[in-house]
Amino acid sequence: MGVDGRYPLLLAVWLLPLAGAIINWTFGPQLKSFAAWLGSAALGLAFVATVLSWSNGLGAGAHQSLGSWIPGFNFGLLLDPLSLLWALIITGVGFLIHVYSIGYMHGDKAIARFFAYMNFFVFAMLTLVLSDNFVGLLVGWGLVGLASYFLIGFWFFKPSAVAAARKAFVINVAGDVGIMFAIFAIVASVHSISFGDVFAFATAGHFSNTALFVICLGLFIGAAAKSAQVPLHTWLPDAMEGPTPVSALIHAATMVTAGVYLVARCAPLWSMNSNAQLLVGTIGALTALTGAILGCAQWDIKRILAYSTMSQIGYMIMGVGVGAYEGGVAHFFTHAFFKAQLFLAAGIVIHALSNEQDVRRMGGLRKKLPFAFYAILTGVLAISGIPGFSGFFSKDRVIFGALEHGHPIMSAVGILTAGITTYYMWRLLFVTFLGSYRGDVDPSDLGIRHPELAGQPLNAHDSHVSAGPEGHGFGVSQIPMYVPVGILMIPTVLIGLLMYGGENSPWNHFFAQEFPHPALAAPALNETMIGIITLVVVLIGIGIAYMRYATATAKQNAVERLRDESIHMPSVLTHAFYFDSALDLLFVRTTQLLGTFFGRVLDPHVIDGAVRESAISAQWLGALVRSFQTGLLRAYAFLFVLGVAAFVAYYALVSGGMH
Amino acid sequence: MAVPLINYISLSAVIFFIGMTGVIVRRNPLIMLMSIELMFNAANLLFMASARAWVNNAGHIFAFLVITVAAAEAAIGLAIVVTVFRTAKHVDVDDVALLKG
Amino acid sequence: MFWILALVLIASAIWCITAVKPVYSVVALLLHFAALAFTYITLNAEFLGVIQIIVYSGAILILFLFVIALLSSGVAPFTVGPDKLPRVAVPGIGVIVIALGFLTYAISRADAKVGAALAPPGTADVFGSVADFGKALFTTYLLPFEITALLLMVAVIGVIVLAGDQTPYLPSSKQAADVRRTMRESILRGGGE
Repeated sequence: MGVDGRYPLLLAVWLLPLAGAIINWTFGPQLKSFAAWLGSAALGLAFVATVLSWSNGLGAGAHQSLGSWIPGFNFGLLLDPLSLLWALIITGVGFLIHVYSIGYMHGDKAIARFFAYMNFFVFAMLTLVLSDNFVGLLVGWGLVGLASYFLIGFWFFKPSAVAAARKAFVINVAGDVGIMFAIFAIVASVHSISFGDVFAFATAGHFSNTALFVICLGLFIGAAAKSAQVPLHTWLPDAMEGPTPVSALIHAATMVTAGVYLVARCAPLWSMNSNAQLLVGTIGALTALTGAILGCAQWDIKRILAYSTMSQIGYMIMGVGVGAYEGGVAHFFTHAFFKAQLFLAAGIVIHALSNEQDVRRMGGLRKKLPFAFYAILTGVLAISGIPGFSGFFSKDRVIFGALEHGHPIMSAVGILTAGITTYYMWRLLFVTFLGSYRGDVDPSDLGIRHPELAGQPLNAHDSHVSAGPEGHGFGVSQIPMYVPVGILMIPTVLIGLLMYGGENSPWNHFFAQEFPHPALAAPALNETMIGIITLVVVLIGIGIAYMRYATATAKQNAVERLRDESIHMPSVLTHAFYFDSALDLLFVRTTQLLGTFFGRVLDPHVIDGAVRESAISAQWLGALVRSFQTGLLRAYAFLFVLGVAAFVAYYALVSGGMH
Repeated sequence: MAVPLINYISLSAVIFFIGMTGVIVRRNPLIMLMSIELMFNAANLLFMASARAWVNNAGHIFAFLVITVAAAEAAIGLAIVVTVFRTAKHVDVDDVALLKG
Repeated sequence: MFWILALVLIASAIWCITAVKPVYSVVALLLHFAALAFTYITLNAEFLGVIQIIVYSGAILILFLFVIALLSSGVAPFTVGPDKLPRVAVPGIGVIVIALGFLTYAISRADAKVGAALAPPGTADVFGSVADFGKALFTTYLLPFEITALLLMVAVIGVIVLAGDQTPYLPSSKQAADVRRTMRESILRGGGE
């Protein structure tokens, strides 16, 4: 795959972030806040290099070999349309988020370490998408998990952050095992790890159906862990403990989409096995629905966005799972922009309110933070799938794609989820920005049970913002935060135009050589009708949200309404369908029990017991033998006689005696 | 009259057993030595009887040698007893269990 | 005849080992040896019967009596407390009986009989006579005979070393006399303690 050659630009794209990371790691204390500019510059240069590599990446793509280890294990970089797209997003959106972080993390004592980690993450993610073989992908896979662990637990003095980082890492590693087994199976059959060889093998039909399903299952387990699909999704909401830029970059735009990349990259494998496709599509649809339902029950602004991410990735997975590759990847593309924008704008709000994250304590911010309001409005319009905004085009593609490939139920689930998504996103918008400011209302009046947990100030972050919604004006540290958000608004709105035109869109031309295109029967409803149905559902969602939160009476009684909703929230939702409890019971408790068993029972009693017993039995044996040494003359004499008796018996019996 | 050899064998065995019991049960060293003499004599009896049964005077010779050795052994045993128990109040073999343990 | 002798032998043996006073044991043993000598004579072994009496009854038993006298010079009884079997003897007695039974059985598979017709005692050069014994001793079994002599010498030396006079060599006879007097007194006193 890809035209072989030497591509110094490609190497630059890959290695510049690594250089930035190493420099920031090594010289962090000396660089102090300059590290932020350095890290952003490294990424900016990488983005430029990616853009310059555009022509190389079209069509068949470019291949830069990195050497061979053993026969069949050849490593290299591949820049084809799929990886080019991902690289553009990673470096481009990543660069914007880095610039944003210059402002957001301003004053933090460990800012150099932050940018080192961010650059390292970008390097790892690029390794993942630019590799031309499974092992390189796995290396990148593991490294992004590591980078995520670093970044979620960045404020390591917060125990909740440390726990969340650990949880994310463990679940990710569980997924890694799936991929590893898949790679083992692949190597066992194909004796090579490079994508070209494996896909040729697959399309030639040399894999048995069960082997292919097992491989796809293993790969998908990894994808589900990384992309927070049910049931391996529980780490994503907790990952919001990290700083907001981290949430924007890793847990919205790039790392969690690695699973989507994997399925899209291995399209030839999935296209050969319809059972695997059914599995992936089902999980994707299920996740989309679950994430949306749970999003309606959250009160933390970042957690709402986290569940929204989970739900949207469910769409992407559903899309690439059923075979609508262009649609799934399109949704990734648009989602990267509008989700990053939503997170960054939310970060502006949080920053301005001295780290308050509970939407119940917000309200009325439309007048105080107008820029943030319009930014989030743009994002919400995009995610709702309002025609004209980018999300409309991509979401439509996924839903129609599911129908086209013969999965009407998934389509229906997608439409339903679109409605629910709209509801909770507009709920976020209304509660945060409309009405009057509720920051000085007693938390328990709002139904907040643990006010001390909400928006606690962070120790290492020298809080230089004053309390209250006025913010602190337009200081220097603010500009880097506003500019990227503003820049992101443009693609959020417009990028959907690339996908306009269905089969003949620029988008489809971009991917013409990339994905298999099987002949499909025309479904019952065509694309336009699907679009209309979806739009209707979306408008119903907006309507419900409006009725609950945005009418004049709703705004007046905001405090009471919010309190009632908080108190009457069903516990199955507040406990996130008990996934956490189930996983805790299944894995954490059993491991703890196993550990206790081994530590308290097996080790001291069995193993140590065996050692002790051997000592005791040696002593006992000694005591037994010692009891013969009575010192009594008569006893010894008796033993002589016993010996003689034995001799005689032997002589008489065995050798026939004297005759 | 001809006595079957088995009678002499049994008699010898019984006397041997009596002597052995005496060695094990009695605590007086002198009685123990005397019991040992009994055992010697039981063996001698068997030698003599067998010599007569098979008309072979090797048995006589051997019995003679046994008597000699028994005498020497009795002498030395008594010397040991005298040495050990010369200054003891009670002559009890169980008191010299210095090899205990 | 055999049965009477057998009875005497067994009875005297039992009396020997069960007597309370050692002197009684010696007497029992004397009786035992006498019966044994008589048995030897009935078995046509006149020489050995006489030897039995001379050596065993006449020398060894006297030796025993001397030692009893030596060790009894104290006032205290010879042994205190009941004699009992050592613990370890309890299971083993049966084994020994069985072993002896085996030996008996093994030996008895010879169907020989004692007491077939032979020349009456006193005849020269017949089986069991002194001449016959002497001839065998000094020709066929000369080597054991000489070694036995050596053995006896070793026994005598051993006895002297073990139980002999432990007086160290002293330069003046007065000191030697002192030492001897002290030792005699200690013996007559009944041994230390």
